Amino acid sequence: MHPRSSTLLASLALAAAAWSLSPGIAVSQTAPAAVAHPIPQSLRLEHEDTAERLGRLAKRPGEVGVEARKALELFRRHAAREEEYIMPPLTLLPLLADGKVTPDMEWAVAMSDRVRADREVIFQEHTQVTDVLNRLVVAAIRAHDKDATDFAQAAATDSLNDLEVLEPTVLLIGDYLRAKLPAAH
Amino acid sequence: MSGPLSRAAVVFSLLTAMPGIAHAGDPAAGKSVFQSTCSICHSVQPGQNKIGPTLFGVVGRKTGSVPGYTYSPPNTAANLTWDAATLDKYLEAPRAMIPGTKMTYGGQKDAAKRADLIAYLATLK
Repeated sequence: MHPRSSTLLASLALAAAAWSLSPGIAVSQTAPAAVAHPIPQSLRLEHEDTAERLGRLAKRPGEVGVEARKALELFRRHAAREEEYIMPPLTLLPLLADGKVTPDMEWAVAMSDRVRADREVIFQEHTQVTDVLNRLVVAAIRAHDKDATDFAQAAATDSLNDLEVLEPTVLLIGDYLRAKLPAAH
Repeated sequence: MSGPLSRAAVVFSLLTAMPGIAHAGDPAAGKSVFQSTCSICHSVQPGQNKIGPTLFGVVGRKTGSVPGYTYSPPNTAANLTWDAATLDKYLEAPRAMIPGTKMTYGGQKDAAKRADLIAYLATLK
């Protein structure tokens, strides 16, 4: 699992800068239509890496394997939610930072609204993730499994990063688009 | 305050100040609770912040007051002192007591385990 803090903090700063410059930003009508809503490639790679590492830990014998399997199940559920509607709006950050807002970005407003509505549910999912990662760390320490310990610590840090940076950024994107997109809002 | 007698005195005074908490906390059992539910995020070493702030010296200090740790705004604004009663309430349901706290902990519903945990935290001086 790779630290993503610096990337997202930079993105947040860009979004904030775009917000502060908003009076001068024209709404463009020429950007290509978004037909699908992927997530940023860096986050896709992180998800793949996490799933791969957890999958390996899940095959270990004993408690490390037991807890890793529980963590993998939770991770898959949480990653599916992130990929469905939490992370896709983040793909817009480079455009927003360049001052470009187009009507076809409206899909991100709906996703951002859904994140806001589900915030407590998402938080509770994070508590479950932290809980299982704590159990994985305890099992890993008992088994002298440094790989598993390091993974769990990094994953817990990423979980906090989601709450501190990623999800607020998505909400900020939604608010920004709502303010900049014409009439419908 | 570092000797075992001093720690015992702290634990005793905390417990006697906890109305409604019948269970006399066991610091040794509380250490086990800490390790299984808190240790991934919290260190007990002074000055060592992790995902959460260090819990060294947590009993008696104000919310949002550990240097070098970035708290959530609601935690900073809570203006509480962590004593046995506030810790008991917080550890039972963190988001109920401080809505918006970023501590990803669902809470310890077992009052005896909470008392054990608080007794352990009281030794971290």
